[in-house]
Amino acid sequence: MAGALLTVQDLSVGFLTEQGLVRAVDGVSFDLEPGQTLGVVGESGSGKSVTAKALMNLLPSYAQVGGTVNFDGRDVFAMAASREKHFWGVEMTMVFQDPMTSLNPVKKIGEQIAESLRVHLGRSRRDALVEAGDLLEQVGIPEPGKRLNQYPHELSGGLRQRVVIAMALACGPRLLIADEPTTALDVTVQKHILDLLDDLRRTRNMAMILITHDLGVVKGRADEVMVMYAGHTMEEAPTTTLFDEMRHPYTEALLETIPRIDTPSHTRLVPIPGRPPEVIDVLDGCPFAPRCRYSIARCLTDQPDLTSHGVGHLCACHAPVGTPSGTEARAANESAGTTAAGLDMDQFARNVPIADLGQSGAEG
Amino acid sequence: MAGSGTAHLRGHDDVVLRVENLVMEFPAGRHQVVHAVSDVSFDIRRGETLGIVGESGCGKSTTARTIVQLPPPTSGRVVLDPGTDQEAELTTLEGEDLRQVRPRLQMIFQDPISSLNPRRRVRDIVGEGLHIWSEGLDDEKIRARVDEVLEAVGIDPTVAANRRPHEFSGGQCQRISIARAVVLEPEILICDEPVSALDVSVQAQILNLLEEMKHRYGLTLVFIGHDLSVVRNISDRVIVMYLGKVCEVGGADALYSAPAHPYTRVLLASAPEPASTVDESEAAIGDEIPSPMDPPSGCRFRTRCPRADDRCATEEPVLKALDDDHFVACHYPSVAGASGA
Repeated sequence: MAGALLTVQDLSVGFLTEQGLVRAVDGVSFDLEPGQTLGVVGESGSGKSVTAKALMNLLPSYAQVGGTVNFDGRDVFAMAASREKHFWGVEMTMVFQDPMTSLNPVKKIGEQIAESLRVHLGRSRRDALVEAGDLLEQVGIPEPGKRLNQYPHELSGGLRQRVVIAMALACGPRLLIADEPTTALDVTVQKHILDLLDDLRRTRNMAMILITHDLGVVKGRADEVMVMYAGHTMEEAPTTTLFDEMRHPYTEALLETIPRIDTPSHTRLVPIPGRPPEVIDVLDGCPFAPRCRYSIARCLTDQPDLTSHGVGHLCACHAPVGTPSGTEARAANESAGTTAAGLDMDQFARNVPIADLGQSGAEG
Repeated sequence: MAGSGTAHLRGHDDVVLRVENLVMEFPAGRHQVVHAVSDVSFDIRRGETLGIVGESGCGKSTTARTIVQLPPPTSGRVVLDPGTDQEAELTTLEGEDLRQVRPRLQMIFQDPISSLNPRRRVRDIVGEGLHIWSEGLDDEKIRARVDEVLEAVGIDPTVAANRRPHEFSGGQCQRISIARAVVLEPEILICDEPVSALDVSVQAQILNLLEEMKHRYGLTLVFIGHDLSVVRNISDRVIVMYLGKVCEVGGADALYSAPAHPYTRVLLASAPEPASTVDESEAAIGDEIPSPMDPPSGCRFRTRCPRADDRCATEEPVLKALDDDHFVACHYPSVAGASGA
């Protein structure tokens, strides 16, 4: 895409283990334009964090990485090979989930922020500390002058995450990757941190990749959302399209299985039976097929490719939700009482009394 | 907030557990004390699910643990089956008397993997309580009973009973924990963040399973959580806690559809998808939670509360009724109909 800041093509990451090759990321592609936010949604093991680490050149040396990543005309993996020093931490930076472990406990906060300014931008110790104070103010930390001389343990979790964000911003990055930045924080703090990231992205025209397991976090914050499962992209779409016209059965199932704050108590949740697959063996079919209400015979043998469902809307499914083939597949499964993968359809009926459910929701 | 008071307690009518004026203080050295739970009271009716929701440090887990006397509270009363011939005041019991009461209360925890002994087989983990408590049962009967309970939680005993916990996923381990907890048919099952460590696609399975177990075994649940949507989904009645105090108590739907306490409103506005009953701008409060070693005077929420005034600093609000089953500890609550703050 013209004007893209980041272009990821066919990224794959494998880890050789005693049990075989774990395909943590398998053929993921996306573009990101300057100033845009991409939300990456997935469960543990979906490959979302490994994708981020691959971009940040943080994978262990034994990882088998394939595909290409292009950042503003530069080949990111080539820069990694030539040990480029002033790219990561300068133009592309990252905020991690746990602010307690992202900070050095024995160094003052001011020094930690100043360090990257001195190393990457060659600032003097004194200038770097002044800039660090400005950064703390920008991320909404009260009394920045006092905080510079404090240690991480003297700050609350929310303030620590603000310090980590200040460090990530120090060299004026053009892309910020935030990997579950609020998962370890309390709800009242979580919203403040997400709003802060959004403000900073807008004022600095910085692109952002927001990784989360919670669809609610990306709603209203990301321009585009990519839903990952077992190392594959299941669906990618502009955020409003994804929520209003989702095509992938996994996206639909995720939305239905999460309790809503506005729905009355004891509303039965539609379960997603089973659990995410081990990504050790090459899957013949769709990785979600064993848990899917729409699965047809083809899903078990033939891995679906991403196909277009409108402007910027991609979905990898043989029987997409809301299309004739999807509607037909689900109706056929419902009347048969079972899916092509042998999943019992009765458990999905919304009106089944909980007491009659037995063990139908059991994990495989 | 700051809710002390007992206006929300109901009569003996079918109450299975009553907690009165529960206080838990932990010594923190240098003559300081952590006020983890300060004067909390509530009751639970038989067959009810009571949700306790709040942020980290609000005392919700400590409350759960002091109910089962692990550790016993600093002061207060915990009465099981009040007004019946089974009545037991747990805080006064010691040694063998306390041990005899324990099977009536069971717990499940947040991390399902670390709450199971990795060196024991699933059959032994689930059957241990029966071996200890059911003197009349021979091994064959215990075996059958364990199989039955494993089946009920969705674990196939023929495959799973001889395996060890590391062979199971988090969701399956949580099912085994639930089997271990219900095998003795307790009256009360205390669930401390039972789905927080699970993937979202597995969370609904466990929530549905808890509902199902509740019906099958006639359980009463105490469900501790930080996710407001999850707590509403499973609870009949909800308690909102902040810094060791009760802010608001009410029927789940009444409380969520007409949140009266400013802190409840902040929580509902802060959710990733804010509740429709509050305005998103209500989430704008300070991040700093005061130290539980030196909690604010009067209402403990006043340092972050948009409505606080001088009265809140001097006078602790007491829980008072908004209607039959909705109580709030605030001098300036939002009243249904009027626009909130």
